Amino acid sequence: MTKHDVRKRFIELGAAVFAVALPLGLQASDPQDIIKYRQAVMKANGGHLAAAGAIIQGKVDEHQGQLAEHVRAVQAINKDIPALFPDGSDLGETKALEAVWNKRADFEKRAKDTREKSEALAKAVSGGDNKIIVARLKELQDACKACHKDFRKEEKKK
Amino acid sequence: MLRRTCAVIAFGWLLCVAPATGAAQDLRKHGEYLFRAAGCATCHTNEKNRGAPLAGGRALKTPFGVFYTPNITPDPETGIGRWSEADFTRALRAGVSPEGQHYYPAFPYPSYARMRDEDVRVLWAYLSKAKPVRRANKPHELLWFVRYRPLLGFWKALFFRPGPYQSRSDRTEIWNRGAYLANAVGHCGECHTPRNLLGGMKERMAMAGTRAGPEGDPIPNITPHKTSGIGRWRESDLMEYFDSGMMPDGDFAGDIMAEVVDNSLRHLTQDDRRAIAGYILSLPPVDNPVRKEKKNTDSDF
Repeated sequence: MTKHDVRKRFIELGAAVFAVALPLGLQASDPQDIIKYRQAVMKANGGHLAAAGAIIQGKVDEHQGQLAEHVRAVQAINKDIPALFPDGSDLGETKALEAVWNKRADFEKRAKDTREKSEALAKAVSGGDNKIIVARLKELQDACKACHKDFRKEEKKK
Repeated sequence: MLRRTCAVIAFGWLLCVAPATGAAQDLRKHGEYLFRAAGCATCHTNEKNRGAPLAGGRALKTPFGVFYTPNITPDPETGIGRWSEADFTRALRAGVSPEGQHYYPAFPYPSYARMRDEDVRVLWAYLSKAKPVRRANKPHELLWFVRYRPLLGFWKALFFRPGPYQSRSDRTEIWNRGAYLANAVGHCGECHTPRNLLGGMKERMAMAGTRAGPEGDPIPNITPHKTSGIGRWRESDLMEYFDSGMMPDGDFAGDIMAEVVDNSLRHLTQDDRRAIAGYILSLPPVDNPVRKEKKNTDSDF
């Protein structure tokens, strides 16, 4: 390998690093935008779950055909909750408690539990047995509540 | 002959013991139910720091300082192991310790005072058989002007009305059950009813929420007011919330209220949940917005 080759390698490597780092650098979004985004995602999560709950409880049978869609959305949203809480998004207009960041392992455990319970609900819905669906919904609700209990500050709700 | 004697003895034993254990079990179950409904464990367990059940030590931050909940396990040295049933009754009914000291109303005796005699007895029977845990109480850290306990006598004269819940004859039995569970046993108003500067409840604003609740957090208005309360919730919405913690928009109870759901509300019977829900929705609607933010700028998470 000549000196020239080595230099060329270096330049290539540098370009590669730059190419990878550039979009990563661009991803450092404004923390307040990250917070707004996750609030929007969480709101959607709750909306789909409430909609699914209403169908499962037989309150709106005419929408039975939508159940799978709602449950799929919940499953998709809960696939990676911790990604909604990156470092640096703990300040600003958020009700997320510091524990999300300084007890990260516990938080990720809760998130994993929520992901698994969401998957289980989706599976139950495709199975079609209402008794099982009701049981899986309950488990998912428990997972949501457990995480809110430890990681979100309670604030007045209507 | 021997076999027959044995059979007779066994039968006699069954006759004498079985009903007794059955009754004891019923009493225990009833006691546990009340214990759940009264929410004792929520404040008297320092769950966040993995404290033993009922051994106290949880910090309650209030505008008057920080209260550390006491050990209410039957440990004779650090708990309530030397209490008699009469001591317990006096604590709940009059807010007075066995040594004759006034309790701070951080202990919700103004609500527990409304409990029926029989329920207090059953609760004591259950609580006095809890697992004893040795853990010395931590002194409260209060502002100077509330440290002098005898002053609580004045507070009581102003704001404390003793006496058990009186059923209202103009209301249904279910409504009365709901009122009893919400006000006496469940003590919802201790957090949800706003207080005046001296810490007395503003009765005309019952359950209308406050910006300065325990731990300094805002507590929602749960009167059925259409815009600032829960006027859009139906009975079934509240029952769902009591059971799973899920609100009509799919959001979940968090923080203290999640503990109340987990430790108390979800363990109630469907009938009792319905009774409480019906009672809450029958309250006079009070317009008292406690939300800091304006509408549509929710900051969830």
